[in-house]
Amino acid sequence: MRYLWLCLVVFAAITTCALTGLAKGNEGKKGKMKHAVFNNNVYARRDTVVKDSLLKDSINIIKRHTIYNKLTDSVSKKPYDLSKFPGVSLQQLLKGQFAGLYIQEPSGEPGSVQNMFIRGVPMPLLSPRDVYQSQPLVVLDGIPLVTEHPFAYDIQLYNYNRMGTATNPFADIDMNNIASVEVLKDLAATAIYGPRAVNGVIILTSKTPVAAKSVTFDSYVGLAQRPHVTTINGKYENAFRQRFYDLYTTNGRYSDDENYPIYLSDSLNNVYSGKSDWSDLYYRNAVVYGINFGISGGTDRANFRFSLGDLKNEGVADGTGLNRYSAMFNINMKPIKWLLFSAMVNANRVERQRNKYLRDRFAQINYFPDLSAPLPPNKDFYADYLEQYKKGFDNNKNNIIDGYAKIGIDLGKFKFVTTFNVDYNEGYRDVFYARTLLQGNSYASNYFGFSQRIMADNRATYDLTINKVHDFHFELGQSTQWDIYKYSNAYAYKGVNDYIKINLLVSNPKNPDGSDNPDYLNTTAFPRELTYRFLDKTKDNLVSFYAKTDYSFKGKYFLSATVRADGSSNAQPTSRWFYSPVLSAAWSIKKELLSNNTIISDLVLRASAGRLGRLNAFDNYAQGPQYTASVGYTGNLTVPGYNGFGVLTRPYSTGWVGYGIPWSYSNQLNLGTDASLLNNRLHLSVDWYLKQEKNLLIGIPAFAEYGYKQSIESGMAVNNTGIDVSISANIIQSRKFGWTSSLNLNHNANKLKALPRGLKQITIDNKLLKVGSPVDQYWLLTNDGIYKSESEIPVVNGQPLKYNGIALHAGDPRWRDINGDNVIDNNDKTLKGHSLPRISGGYDNIFRYGNWNLNVNLYFNLGRDLIHQEMANRFDFINREGNSDVNSVKEITFWEKRGDYSKYPLYNPWSTVIPYRVDQDLFLENASFLKLRTVSIGYDLTKAVRSKKIKLSRFYVYATANNVFTITPYTGQDPELVNYDGYDTGYGLPIPRTYTLGVKMEL
Amino acid sequence: MKNDHKNHVIKMKKIPCIVLLYITALMSCNKTLDIDSSRVVGEKNMWNKLEDARAGILGVYALTRAALSDNDGHWLYGDVRTGEFISPNRQDLKALASNQLNASYPTIDALSDWTRFYAIVNAANIFLERIGDVKAADKRYTDNYLKVDVAQVRFLRAFTYFYMVRIWGDVPFVTASHDGKFENQPRENSNKILVWAQQEMLKAATDLPFVYSGNDVQQPGNYYNEDATRWGGALATKNSAYAVLAHLAAWQGNYADVATYTKFVEDNYGKSGINYQSTEDLTKSNGFFFNKNTSQMFGFDSDWGHIDGSVAGHLEELTLAEPVVNKKVPDIYIPKDTILKIFDQPKDERFSIDTLGQPRSERYFTNINGKYPIFSKIKVIQGGVSDPTFRYFTSALIFTRLEDIVLLRAEALAVLGDLTGAENEVTVVMTRRGITEIDFSQDIIDLIFKERHRELLGEGHRWYDLIRYNKIKQNNPVFLKLINSQGIYWPVSRKLISQNTLLTQNPFWK
Repeated sequence: MRYLWLCLVVFAAITTCALTGLAKGNEGKKGKMKHAVFNNNVYARRDTVVKDSLLKDSINIIKRHTIYNKLTDSVSKKPYDLSKFPGVSLQQLLKGQFAGLYIQEPSGEPGSVQNMFIRGVPMPLLSPRDVYQSQPLVVLDGIPLVTEHPFAYDIQLYNYNRMGTATNPFADIDMNNIASVEVLKDLAATAIYGPRAVNGVIILTSKTPVAAKSVTFDSYVGLAQRPHVTTINGKYENAFRQRFYDLYTTNGRYSDDENYPIYLSDSLNNVYSGKSDWSDLYYRNAVVYGINFGISGGTDRANFRFSLGDLKNEGVADGTGLNRYSAMFNINMKPIKWLLFSAMVNANRVERQRNKYLRDRFAQINYFPDLSAPLPPNKDFYADYLEQYKKGFDNNKNNIIDGYAKIGIDLGKFKFVTTFNVDYNEGYRDVFYARTLLQGNSYASNYFGFSQRIMADNRATYDLTINKVHDFHFELGQSTQWDIYKYSNAYAYKGVNDYIKINLLVSNPKNPDGSDNPDYLNTTAFPRELTYRFLDKTKDNLVSFYAKTDYSFKGKYFLSATVRADGSSNAQPTSRWFYSPVLSAAWSIKKELLSNNTIISDLVLRASAGRLGRLNAFDNYAQGPQYTASVGYTGNLTVPGYNGFGVLTRPYSTGWVGYGIPWSYSNQLNLGTDASLLNNRLHLSVDWYLKQEKNLLIGIPAFAEYGYKQSIESGMAVNNTGIDVSISANIIQSRKFGWTSSLNLNHNANKLKALPRGLKQITIDNKLLKVGSPVDQYWLLTNDGIYKSESEIPVVNGQPLKYNGIALHAGDPRWRDINGDNVIDNNDKTLKGHSLPRISGGYDNIFRYGNWNLNVNLYFNLGRDLIHQEMANRFDFINREGNSDVNSVKEITFWEKRGDYSKYPLYNPWSTVIPYRVDQDLFLENASFLKLRTVSIGYDLTKAVRSKKIKLSRFYVYATANNVFTITPYTGQDPELVNYDGYDTGYGLPIPRTYTLGVKMEL
Repeated sequence: MKNDHKNHVIKMKKIPCIVLLYITALMSCNKTLDIDSSRVVGEKNMWNKLEDARAGILGVYALTRAALSDNDGHWLYGDVRTGEFISPNRQDLKALASNQLNASYPTIDALSDWTRFYAIVNAANIFLERIGDVKAADKRYTDNYLKVDVAQVRFLRAFTYFYMVRIWGDVPFVTASHDGKFENQPRENSNKILVWAQQEMLKAATDLPFVYSGNDVQQPGNYYNEDATRWGGALATKNSAYAVLAHLAAWQGNYADVATYTKFVEDNYGKSGINYQSTEDLTKSNGFFFNKNTSQMFGFDSDWGHIDGSVAGHLEELTLAEPVVNKKVPDIYIPKDTILKIFDQPKDERFSIDTLGQPRSERYFTNINGKYPIFSKIKVIQGGVSDPTFRYFTSALIFTRLEDIVLLRAEALAVLGDLTGAENEVTVVMTRRGITEIDFSQDIIDLIFKERHRELLGEGHRWYDLIRYNKIKQNNPVFLKLINSQGIYWPVSRKLISQNTLLTQNPFWK
């Protein structure tokens, strides 16, 4: 009932406002539209002279007297520069560009999923679910974009990739269509976007149509360079392993039933011991290009912009690649002075060629064939395998459409905007693997899934100025978002032959005589008993109301307050609504105290504090105690029932969910300053923040005696504190020559502040969560070398030192007994390293000489560590050989030498303590790095080409080199190619060095 | 001015629109937010209908199957631990076979974790606590349904405790769901639990029918509207209960009870459609172990027709390899010498060699002269075929069958001193396997256990048989020491001990 009241209040407010506007009459100025258009044009023109720094924009915005920007820490970046990078995804384009936005690129495979974190991680990243819930919101022209829901992982045995296309949902942004990119980090800016914005917001604003006729053409073409790798063959691997046999066996066999792999033992076998030239087929020089063509035109009252784009981005490894076809259409219409209708459609088709990793394929098909003979390193044999692969297909297609229709009523001081947003992202993955790829069994899989968000948004604003000193801005907003995530997936084994490549179904519901066909929807080419079908759907609805008041006094003092009420269908009925306030203030010291100071051009202090709710991503938490079919077991998760009937049991494998789960929320405090010195030549922006995540859900391993794997409880708290710094300086600013240098960096530290029930620590698999410690640390044994002989092993009560109850022997690692209790176990593990960087950022230099300009962009991570699991796996060969399981899978890249083998002691690999286990600091490495990410050189031909006949407003040509080099102490592959958990499994495809030539033209 | 007027009119029209918009938004507010999950069933939508009861009781069965199949636990506990199977490649199974149960391999960690067994117990407890709601809400759910369902659930719960006690000895004893008010429990004396389990099973046995949907007086009509073929072999019957009771009594060393319970089964097995298996039926790929059939006295099927088969969770996953399926090296195998030692009876249809040293049949073992003799007694591939290309299995997990109970009766009679009775029982089984000349000069206990070894190889019995055998014989000091030091039990997972501070580690594994 109280929501009814709230709604009434909103309604009343709107009517009153409308009436006020009415009474006063429409004495407003000309529509705001023209104004905006004008501004945009200014931007575009100014771009041609590359001398702006990132802060310039916000200073400009401040100059435009919008209070909003005074109060927030937001940074905007010019897409014009970003669009020169030959990347596919939004993440790639934004990496290292914004202080506080950290981007993970775990693979160089074009269009693969990448993670973003603004100002640290709000929760420990234990699974893809947590990563999903930690992502910032991306808003394109007011449309909060959907991403792929991780619920599909529930039926996956392995979570290397999400079921379906696993295409980056932000591969659909063509930077050439974007007018501004802004990263909102504190609540003063993010609060109006609601609970989905709790991890920060990335605002993309598309180019607005201009009345003047204009044509733009942006294009680049380039080459991604084939990486140089060192290949090895069976002989090499055999020699590597023989050292262990020499040390720990007398006759080359550790036990009588020892089974040495044949592919290594036969040194005369040219398939494995011959030349290792597989890399010729695996790596390549790849083509990348991007084209965007846009036209814009119309009149003051009705105008449009339309653009078409095509992008191709081939990966350098494994035949990967991505094609994108995009179209974008914006339209503004102003039938009457005070009414603005605008609409936008951004439609994309993304087609992706995925990698051919065996692991991913076997995980997809849920079947491991005999793995006793890996792919041979010899090109001829590898080509044979690729040939078999070509008999099938792996099609990954995404259609992504986002759009809005907006009606704006502009009555001068009173404005009302109602928007209808749609974002729809559908993915198709059709797979067929021929029989020859899987020991005589073909496999077909057809996946269709979509994520859909529909949003109705209404907001009303009213501006009031009293005596020219008091500026008020009132805003009321209401929005409803309906999210639906759905997929259907069917797969089948053993088709009749390799020619029928799809899982055909009997399509006649009726027999010819009119009776029901009992075989309706049964499979025709694949056996019914080997056909699996899955269907899942989840909804997530959100209803929000907010009210906001901004106040400024003489342009010196600024105050803003926001109050929100958010109701979520994923919250429990007893705590469906969450109310949260945000307060912010700013003080222009310049205007107050330094108006005559010539050194300080501008100086603003900002502060904001508030609270914002955090949504549950999963609808089952709203249900309280519940029933599901949780009756699978290791290797066969998706058991639906028993004896052909569906069953319902408590969710033993996913965890107990009780009643009384409140909303989790984030308290955020931000203190910042923006300064502009020396006639705006030096800009400085510094923000200190504290983010307190409260009432987070966490699965506590508990209640095993009641059958549960864990109990999902509320009460975890995580803090992130840090500093964002952006500095930019026009070091040299002469007519002929200019040098602008800008640095952005973020220092972040996270800490676990509380666990449910007041627990001090919990262990989840190989991770320790300890109150007072960071959540991104590894929990590791300390390795002090090797016990060379039995006599070196400490004796405790007459028995040798034990690891988890197993007596240590010569050849075992010397693990440190941290707690001094004379046994080595989990209590001797300590938290070490950080999977997320303490400091990350970018350093940008722009040199200008006449019409030439040179841009040098560096990207760095400091204070970051990773676990070199690929190396651990190589040494742990005894446990990873010859079985039909995921551990025994060897990719073709097994024949590539990565890392430094000499760093590691030669332990007894047969030992049951598993000497090369990853939970020790032996494989922990410093993964800090500095990358020269982009060097670009360009020439502005505008003046040279411009003539009376050709009305050219811009003509710019450029060349870039990307990912030029990396400086890092890390001994493995690229330190960036790591999953969210910080384990380098070696599965990341290399991020290539890419050279491009490009042109940007505007008529 | 004129213009202004026009604006007003339009605006006046707009206002009702805005009002309407807001009222609609308002009405849909709660409708938008109160949506039931389409992925899980909330408490309010469960235990209302007959179908909920069916989903609940079959859930308990499914969880039992999952617990026993997980990591092939039933066979790793029962067969591999004895050490007679050798693993060429799997280090975890090597450790298991050499009784190094502290070794840090994921499989061994998982097998020392009892969580999945307590899921059965919890599901059973919830069923027993909530089934009254269905009874009250749905008239279709009759008194008889209630009686039969409750009996099955109590039996499965008691069976689970018996199974756990065999693995860990003392285990926490929980007989209520404690929903939402979970409390950690210490380990309870295993003898007490066994006494309780015996009582429970006896009570259940009185209510369980011999057959479902088969006009049994205790279960008239079609059970959940399905006929007898649907249920035969899939559900626990009165015979199942007495068979498990016999095992429980034998584990306690209470052979008088064993004799009683096995007698009941021998007198009544026909009522459940149970019969002896010929050697051919026992070992063929669409025989006894295929799908479900009434002779499966107590077991859990993975029916091919129900798309219930899988790659994992079947013995075949461990034992089969070339030439039976296209896998180079089996996970486990029995070396030829051991096979010849076990199968020393001439004319044994299961396995025996002729005078030239050639196997008479490949029923139990294939490729006997190869590097890896393949233990192929159970080989239910796909729909009961011999196609080696796809390792997808549909064998049922059998806890006990008639031959097992007959041999158990022989054991009981032997221990109780009725040697003739014991000889008669063991003869029943051996003659069916083609062994017509039985040498009764040897110790009858040895004879019975050797036959058990041969007959039940690969069915998860051997480890427990060895323990009973050594308890009877008292002549193997090494094994007796293992029994007395509780080394026959598994360590309790370290993870569980860290979760529940009331738990203690088994002394042998400290």
